[in-house]
Amino acid sequence: MAPPDDLVARAQAGDQTAFRDLYRQHAGRVYALCLRLTGDGRDAEERTQDVFVRLWDRVRSFRGESAFSTWLHRLAVNVVLNARRATGRREQRVMTVEDPGALERNRGSTTEGLSIDLERAIAGLPDGAREVFVLYDIEGYAHAEIAELVGIAEGTSKAQLFRARRLLREKLER
Amino acid sequence: MNEKELHDAVGRLPKSIEPPRDLWPDIEARINRRSLALRRRWYWIPLAAAAVLAGVWLVRSQPASWDLTTLAGRPLVNTTPLAASGRLRVGDWLQTDDSSRALIAVGRIGQVEVRPETRVQLVSATESDHRLALARGTIDAKVDAVPRLFFVETPAGTAIDLGCAYTLHTDSLGNGLLHVTGGEVEFQTGQRWARVPLGALTQTRAAVGPGVPYVEDAPEPLIRALVAFDFANGGARATRTALAVARPHDALSLWHLLQRVDPALRGLVYDRLAALVPPPPGVTRAGAIALASRDLEGYWTKIHRILFRRMVLKGVRDIDPRTGTTVR
Repeated sequence: MAPPDDLVARAQAGDQTAFRDLYRQHAGRVYALCLRLTGDGRDAEERTQDVFVRLWDRVRSFRGESAFSTWLHRLAVNVVLNARRATGRREQRVMTVEDPGALERNRGSTTEGLSIDLERAIAGLPDGAREVFVLYDIEGYAHAEIAELVGIAEGTSKAQLFRARRLLREKLER
Repeated sequence: MNEKELHDAVGRLPKSIEPPRDLWPDIEARINRRSLALRRRWYWIPLAAAAVLAGVWLVRSQPASWDLTTLAGRPLVNTTPLAASGRLRVGDWLQTDDSSRALIAVGRIGQVEVRPETRVQLVSATESDHRLALARGTIDAKVDAVPRLFFVETPAGTAIDLGCAYTLHTDSLGNGLLHVTGGEVEFQTGQRWARVPLGALTQTRAAVGPGVPYVEDAPEPLIRALVAFDFANGGARATRTALAVARPHDALSLWHLLQRVDPALRGLVYDRLAALVPPPPGVTRAGAIALASRDLEGYWTKIHRILFRRMVLKGVRDIDPRTGTTVR
């Protein structure tokens, strides 16, 4: 496979084969983000598709000010949050990954049981708390950025994070 | 489970999870359908172009301006006191005294708070070029847009927004300070440039440009050495002082210094940088010393990521400044 920079340049020139290789390189990272933000396996597949369709439209606007993966990550967060705003779904979800082996395939450590429990607990969080927790604790965004991305006040982001951590600790202690 | 155990468990979660099935065929089909639809839309191009031209004519018939709000006192727009709100037109000067403040809406992409004792002019207000000139004083800018849409010109160079929040100060001599509180800003003149990410500052000098940026908690001797290097012909002596006092947290400064020192000193700077923050895979000493963009960008990505994590997780987790990983 060609180096990442070369793939991006070729994709920007309209090379669909290079774009497919970009998909292969980044699909796991994007899917993980979508899965955790939506808490639903089917939604995560749809959003992952949306992200790469959007990427095909927008890849020419990537100008290399940040790493491509960072830029794509931000694009993916926006796609997922915009989709949630558009559909207005608010019901609480549980993880419904059709292939339950998806999570197990990515682990090999002795802590895998805890990680799987944690993934399920995250998926079961209320939408608002889950989004803030995933963006802050897993993805490393700042509250100010989350506030802008999600469309909430910075104080609300902090409160949702506190709530998410408390709920997770309670769930994992049961 | 306590808070620390939860953090540790979160830290072990995988960054990547493969989708349960190959999504590429569906993505490819959607891309191809969109391409076809776009080609069909070409029939409408003449009509669309006419509509756009009419729109452009209408917009251009209105003078470009931004909304302006008084926050305190009575700021002046040119020589007229501003009421509660008003408009700042291209070419207008906004001036605050020691007790007045104002808020400028930067088109639809952000806002600038103008602090007391500040003089600022609206230079351009188009969709692709939102531009102010800061003659003196202090502004707090916050912009939510794609990079390179918002610019602030100062006597020391131009601050170029890369999606960020920052405070920019310029004194009456044109010297100043840029402090980035979100995202990243590029500051440049014809000869010099600096990348200033969240949690970093750079001093600026009229007709010279930006100094080497440093992090908020940089040690005072390092800042003095950098100022001597950038603005007082400190040369090799200042470089050696900076290298001696730099910590892993100061990799941002050494990364810039590497590109500014005489070629003979680049090896020295690189070796110190590599000792403080090991280079990521793919970055070579030879490439970095030759200032190859691939090596410099690779190093930058790592340094930027570590700094970002340190800033975002400040007070939540201890971050190893050499690697960016959580300290256990």
